[in-house]
Amino acid sequence: MNYKLLFKYAMLTGEIMLKNGAETYRVEDTIIRILKTSQFMVTEAFVTLTGLFATLDDPTIDMITYVKRVNERTIHMNKVSQANDISRKFCAGTLPLEQAYQQLLIVQNMPAYPKPIRLLATCLTAGFFTLVFGGRVNDFITATIIGLALGLLQIGLNKIHATRFFIDLIGGALIAACAFILTQYIPIGMDMNVIIIGSIMPLVPGVAITNAVRDTIQGDLVSGLSRAVEAFMIASAIAIGVGSVLKIFYLVYGGSFS
Amino acid sequence: MIVKLFSAFFATLFFSIIFNISKYELIYCGISGFLGWLSYLLTFNLTSSVVFAAFIGALMISLYSRLLAKIRKTPVTIFSISGMIPLVPGAGMYKTVYYIIEEDYALSTHYGIESLQIAGAIAIAIILVSSFSLFQFKRS
Repeated sequence: MNYKLLFKYAMLTGEIMLKNGAETYRVEDTIIRILKTSQFMVTEAFVTLTGLFATLDDPTIDMITYVKRVNERTIHMNKVSQANDISRKFCAGTLPLEQAYQQLLIVQNMPAYPKPIRLLATCLTAGFFTLVFGGRVNDFITATIIGLALGLLQIGLNKIHATRFFIDLIGGALIAACAFILTQYIPIGMDMNVIIIGSIMPLVPGVAITNAVRDTIQGDLVSGLSRAVEAFMIASAIAIGVGSVLKIFYLVYGGSFS
Repeated sequence: MIVKLFSAFFATLFFSIIFNISKYELIYCGISGFLGWLSYLLTFNLTSSVVFAAFIGALMISLYSRLLAKIRKTPVTIFSISGMIPLVPGAGMYKTVYYIIEEDYALSTHYGIESLQIAGAIAIAIILVSSFSLFQFKRS
């Protein structure tokens, strides 16, 4: 067996899954399962949110250890699902190693949804969450417009490779500014707070904090802690953006915080 | 309430696009959000406890995702992560930090602890369902 290719395949699977938003325990599990098909004595994997390590050792081979740093993480569930599918077929023995590796390379370059569709999704997510949180039709329309602005901003800032913190900060500020101006100058009885809460939904770290608690309960303390920090940083960025803009507007226009 | 439920359906569906979930699964993700929000609202009306309502909602979503993952042969996460979006305390996390900036520490602590409780309740629901089906799987 070509154990170097096997190892390469396992690490690439792990990297793709981790980069695109799989849980750490699932990544560990998948890497170990793939490595175990070699029947070697030592198969270990240790995955954190920001990197992964794996070792393969046996008396018959030189030990391989591999460290992979993962810098940017996005959420692309389709890639996770596909990589998982390939590894499952491989472990069941229905897919030879070379073919599995080739298919994985295709998965790695799988495109995301086209930009207009993502933009539309951001708009409507903001709009419908406003309705979920008790907004009315006026609020829905306003939040959809704000969502459009937010989506355009995200695309623009992603183009210049801004950091996540910066994007969330500016995004929060933009949402608050738009919500304030729209409710101020188009008085058709809109609720600014509901609009802001609904519009920040595409940004907020709800899934991150839930996964943090889940990882901690399951014993992945390092991942749990780093996810909690991540969630807190995102929430801070949005809140700083929203908070400072509202403060400035209240200073200029008068009125008080609610 | 019906408006809220259908908004939850569409909100989840469109959020799934942001998560890049395959287009064949989008409609099932929407149903997941719908079911979760339905059980959340029903439980909330009965007990008026946000945390318990989130727990029941997450429980429903996890069971639904398990079932659907079997049928559609995709990882459970796809359906559960999208369905949980209306339940997870994203707005709560935001409010926690927002009131720190506002220097209203009482409200900040309130929302902070509530967010952690909700996150904990959802996490426990997910783990509960996944350990149960592991048990079933081993027996059969």
